[in-house]
Amino acid sequence: MSIDKTEELVLNMGPQHPSMHGLFRMIVHLEGETVTEIEPKIGYLHRGIEKLAESRTYTQFIPYTDRLDYLASPHNNWAYVQTVEKLMGVEIPERAEYLRVIFGELARIASHQVMIASTALDIAGWTAWGYAFRDRERILDMYEMTAGSRLTVNCMRIGGMSAEPPAEFWPALESFLDDTPEMLEEYYGIFFGNEIAQGRLKNVGIMPKELAENLSITGPVLRASGVQYDVRKAYPYSIYDRFDFDVPVRYGCDSYDRTIIRMDEIKESVKIIRQAIRDIPEGPIMAKVPKVIKPPVGEVYHRVENPKGELGFYIVSDGSTKPARVRIRPGTFVNLQMLPIVAKGWKIQDVVAIFATLDAVLGEVDK
Amino acid sequence: MFGKGLFQGLGITFKRMVGPNITEFYPEQKPVLPSRVRSSMGLQREKCICCNMCAMACPNGVIKLTGEKDEESKKRVLKSYHMDLGRCLFCGLCTEACPTKALTVTQEYENAVFEADDMKWDMIARAERKGKEG
Repeated sequence: MSIDKTEELVLNMGPQHPSMHGLFRMIVHLEGETVTEIEPKIGYLHRGIEKLAESRTYTQFIPYTDRLDYLASPHNNWAYVQTVEKLMGVEIPERAEYLRVIFGELARIASHQVMIASTALDIAGWTAWGYAFRDRERILDMYEMTAGSRLTVNCMRIGGMSAEPPAEFWPALESFLDDTPEMLEEYYGIFFGNEIAQGRLKNVGIMPKELAENLSITGPVLRASGVQYDVRKAYPYSIYDRFDFDVPVRYGCDSYDRTIIRMDEIKESVKIIRQAIRDIPEGPIMAKVPKVIKPPVGEVYHRVENPKGELGFYIVSDGSTKPARVRIRPGTFVNLQMLPIVAKGWKIQDVVAIFATLDAVLGEVDK
Repeated sequence: MFGKGLFQGLGITFKRMVGPNITEFYPEQKPVLPSRVRSSMGLQREKCICCNMCAMACPNGVIKLTGEKDEESKKRVLKSYHMDLGRCLFCGLCTEACPTKALTVTQEYENAVFEADDMKWDMIARAERKGKEG
């Protein structure tokens, strides 16, 4: 008797799984090793952050935004405080704007380093993992000496920054920026240049430009499919219109390009931080805002370019000290919908690689 | 040449293998943390004016304090000060709100306990036990 057809196998991956970034579960339907269908299941990290906002004052909600995309918490702070500032019509001091850009871009570098490391780990490149995490530690040290925390930084306030960086911050930042070319060379040598890594990532999980646009994909995942869209350039917020930087675009549409585009973005972030250090003025870091924050009645939407995609906050104010409604538009939640479409037809080990290149952080997806 | 990247990667690994060690030997060697690190809270009782600003700034209602009027000096003095660290976000908003800097962040990070009740801190008792620093 010969077996020429296998039965469909339904395999549960997650919510606790070595290749899962956070608590994400997918039910994979397999024909042999080939994926025929994926059902993503989210919600295992749901903490009701949007609802919590309604029972906290505007300032008290800032630490909660740290817990959305916890790999780039200054960015979440930034998006939220800018939304409230837009609602209140507050102008913040120049120095605070520059410090926000420096912290935001440092967060982008740190987040991309984690992405490179975890992608390497997901395709079984254990050695490469340590290199990016080693360098990210230096950014965390800079957060720590300025704001007092490493992961949930909570460094921004409505009207400015929580603290002025100490004197030892600037030499640490300079030496980090000086070392980035060597770091990137090392990542390339140990991971991207490796033939096994290239074999696992190149031409795997193709997402054509049209599909990416139709699915409202944003961030590096979109730019790796050949679309030049970056909120920092398209709708400049803060002081991004003052800096000279490029938006890296790649046209491979595959997992390899979705990963290596982060290396290009790190280079651009370094360029932005160098310009910010050169131009940063002296002065206060907090605007004059009332102690009790009471924005006028109204609603506002504001978006920023998070390392993982477009992050938007929609706030409705009823004139009291607490927001009436906060809605968060996370980048990875929207980006995640490409997984069942793009991963169909690939082998099960490719699904892990495709999921890794999305750089999903479930804190942001489940909220 | 196929395989060149593999050898390049191995070269980097070997270079780092003989390079300086970057890991910390934690329980034996304790790291010195910057003075702004918010890993614990300390209270200086005599500075506290019982204004309740810290309790109002807290997003989670961690802080509960009571005060009483001192008959001699006519000032409010602290009677009890409790923090439920199990609900604390370590965001530092309470220390920022404190007008007299009676409540400050401290750098003790070995806060793990076995029982849930041990996370309810009596800050006055802690301050007396630990001396001035709190």
